[in-house]
Amino acid sequence: MRTYILRRVLYAIPTLFGISILVFAVTRMAPGDPVRLYTFGALNITEEDIQGIRLHYGLVNPDGTERNIALQYVDWITLAVQGDFGKSLQYRQPALNLLVERLPATLQLATAALILQLLIGIPLGVVAALKRGTWIDNVIRVFAVIGHAVPTFWIGLLFIIVFSVSFRVLPSQGLLTVGHDVWDIPDRLKHILMPAFVLSLAGIANYSRYLRTETLDVINQDYIRTAHAKGLRERSVMYGHALRNALIPMVTALGPLLAVLVGGSLVIEQVFTWPGVGQFTYAAARSKDYPVIMAGVMIAATLLVLSYLIRDIAYALVDPRIKVK
Amino acid sequence: MTRHIWRAVTVAGLLSLIAAACAPSGPAATEQQTAAPAAAATQGPVSGGRIIVGTFVDMQRANPATSNDSGSSAVSSKIYDSLITVDPKTGEAKPWLGTWTVSSDGLTFSWTIDPKANWSDGKPITANDFLARVKMQARSKVTPNKSVFNDIEGYQDYSTGKATSISGIKVDSADPKKFTAKFTRVFCPALTSVFGSAPMPDHVFGKYTVDNDPTKNVDDAPENNAPTATSGPFKFKEWRKGDQVILVKNENYFKGAPYIDELVYKVVADTSVLAAQLKTGELTVGSINAPDLAGFQTEDRLKIYKFNQVSYTYIGWRANNPNVAFLQDKRVRQALAYGIDMSAVVRSVLLGEGTKNLQHHPSFLWAAAPEKDLNPYNYDKSKAEDLLKSAGFAKGADGVYAKDGKPLAITIVTNQGNKLRETFLQVAVEQYKQIGVKITPKVEAFEALVPKLTGGSPEIEAVIIGWTNIVEPDSFTVWHSSNAASPTKAGNNFVGYSNPEVDKLLEQGRNGPDCSQATRQKIYQQFNKILNEDQPYMFGYAPKNLLVIDGRVQGVDPGPFNAEGLWNIDKWWIKK
Repeated sequence: MRTYILRRVLYAIPTLFGISILVFAVTRMAPGDPVRLYTFGALNITEEDIQGIRLHYGLVNPDGTERNIALQYVDWITLAVQGDFGKSLQYRQPALNLLVERLPATLQLATAALILQLLIGIPLGVVAALKRGTWIDNVIRVFAVIGHAVPTFWIGLLFIIVFSVSFRVLPSQGLLTVGHDVWDIPDRLKHILMPAFVLSLAGIANYSRYLRTETLDVINQDYIRTAHAKGLRERSVMYGHALRNALIPMVTALGPLLAVLVGGSLVIEQVFTWPGVGQFTYAAARSKDYPVIMAGVMIAATLLVLSYLIRDIAYALVDPRIKVK
Repeated sequence: MTRHIWRAVTVAGLLSLIAAACAPSGPAATEQQTAAPAAAATQGPVSGGRIIVGTFVDMQRANPATSNDSGSSAVSSKIYDSLITVDPKTGEAKPWLGTWTVSSDGLTFSWTIDPKANWSDGKPITANDFLARVKMQARSKVTPNKSVFNDIEGYQDYSTGKATSISGIKVDSADPKKFTAKFTRVFCPALTSVFGSAPMPDHVFGKYTVDNDPTKNVDDAPENNAPTATSGPFKFKEWRKGDQVILVKNENYFKGAPYIDELVYKVVADTSVLAAQLKTGELTVGSINAPDLAGFQTEDRLKIYKFNQVSYTYIGWRANNPNVAFLQDKRVRQALAYGIDMSAVVRSVLLGEGTKNLQHHPSFLWAAAPEKDLNPYNYDKSKAEDLLKSAGFAKGADGVYAKDGKPLAITIVTNQGNKLRETFLQVAVEQYKQIGVKITPKVEAFEALVPKLTGGSPEIEAVIIGWTNIVEPDSFTVWHSSNAASPTKAGNNFVGYSNPEVDKLLEQGRNGPDCSQATRQKIYQQFNKILNEDQPYMFGYAPKNLLVIDGRVQGVDPGPFNAEGLWNIDKWWIKK
């Protein structure tokens, strides 16, 4: 098992390298110039000032010519492997620190959404399977399709209009009410409810469909028939035998879901002004804050790789037939 | 009295940044909409409470020496006061932290700082604090404001490390509250640009700038983001990044402690969220767009302050782009001015909350030319077509004018997400079609558009964008031919305007030798008349600022030369 994990970690390294090269190239080649952008409106600025700032950021060579992108990448990666992702061009603080500061907000949102997905998605899937073909099943299935098809930002805005503007029952933006203590848990729960639910919708849809299929699969197995034949009560057949087995494959669905949560939060954080990694990275991408974009993408990529790793390990643990090669 | 002069603004104006959030700007004719409770008069100001201001951008650095963005300026202007202040009603520079006299040659300013003026930690504000500001800006590697002090004697040598002191600034050895600043040439905007730069606490920041080591600078000082000593009405309390900045009242403020306890800048996603949060009471103050106004008419709890602002939105014609060489012909540009019904645009785009604009300076600034001296270019379709014909164009079978086989076709670009500008562009497409000019509309992300504008990209044929914060009339960087944007040299003269007469006027308005307002007024009025005749821009419209504030807030008194409307925030109080 240890070699298996080690091997998987080693595989992850070239993946992360690949991602970093790709993102680096894309951000640098996209039109726009961060220094021009930041100095826009500074009417006294001279061309020499601009060139000086560019040099300071390593965008040009000392002789004023544009620095080769490959060389810029080498500059960046040399420091990045040592944990130094550079300083944010806008905030003048280490990019990684700025993002790590925001990680708790994103993780809170993702965790809350994950819990909602499990709490709502699993029962819906099981109920749909047990009531297969009835109107309940149909309703759940339609809901699943909608949850998948409708963009989350749109649902987010809809929720804000209904619950914040019309009924004024939930706050529309941010982590907590201005002036409240950061440990005001009820206030925080009120704030997280809407974004977490909207973020969890796709997952709920996914989970309920997935679990419906799995449950249907399992209840047609021989051992369920045997359990029934033994004279076990319906309840113990369902919970003790069927559901337990149906849940095993769900473990594998957890990995990609984590990734979806981290990725999806980029949009949701924007809509609800949730001060997390997603919102910050998005703002950085808009303002061409290269070090922050790189650090943000690398964090997301690492989380993704990590979630697949966890899935693989969990899979290997749950199903001994998976052999470590 | 504007507390702080927006950074470089001083010189001519700041480009309106942020798309959706087109910077809210100040007032002139203040109309208060909903019934202002008369009972307030009987009740005196009371202390306490919190004002929450909605903003679209987070602060980046609370150090005005190294920042230039509107989010940071909003915060730093509440915590750092300047030697002077700009009167929000007239735009005039007035004594604030200091008083001044100027030598007869106009080169030396002598300053005395108010004896009562102290930092929030009790230490006196002295000449060294102003010097600390100049020095930190000189040595910063990232500041966009480095050249603000270029005309102070010895500044550039200090900046590069050739000198270990700034020869032009002399602190009085007998009185630490006095200093003189000597310029190498007369610089008429000096008061607002140079002395509008807030002094920074030497006892906090002084250690980061080392006279004999130019590699040391203030760029990474932790106090940039968590100021410990402030001179303005507020002190810094906390910055919850991406969410809010919390300021608390400065009990030691030299003009008396503010009434309100806390001032919070809260980041919101966009204009519709801002409007919603004003209605729910989550925000106390916010600037809205005209199209959102309708939703506020029924909100009795809120007051709407409408006032003029020092900004306008225009269509700039690129005269130096060979793709649209016909724009070099003044008659074509004038035809384009006659060919659009700006009164209709003001009605449809601004819903009447603004005015048609005819010149570079706002009509209520002393530098503006009187309207009677300007051509209003009232909508006149046949005049527009006559001008095109006199320029040698003939209408083709497709209804578009052409000359030598080249049709009158122009691509107009504007920045994405600014609904007002996008609507303006749509109207322009429709109306110019009527006079036989083909407009291709294009919308581009702000961050991609900016380098193309300042870099004179051939992709730009015409642009809809705006100028804001035109307080000091010096417009050298926007209109002087030496600042024409080209691929080899960036500049804020995006349209490549070049007129020797205007160049000369701009030089006189900036470098004198006579900086008196009477002389400069003549210069800039002439300048505006020429621009009005030349039409390098179709000068577009000047929107009103629509500031929505909780009805309980008292003491609000906005003026056009203070963009935010918060210039007297220390005098605001909340009725219980």
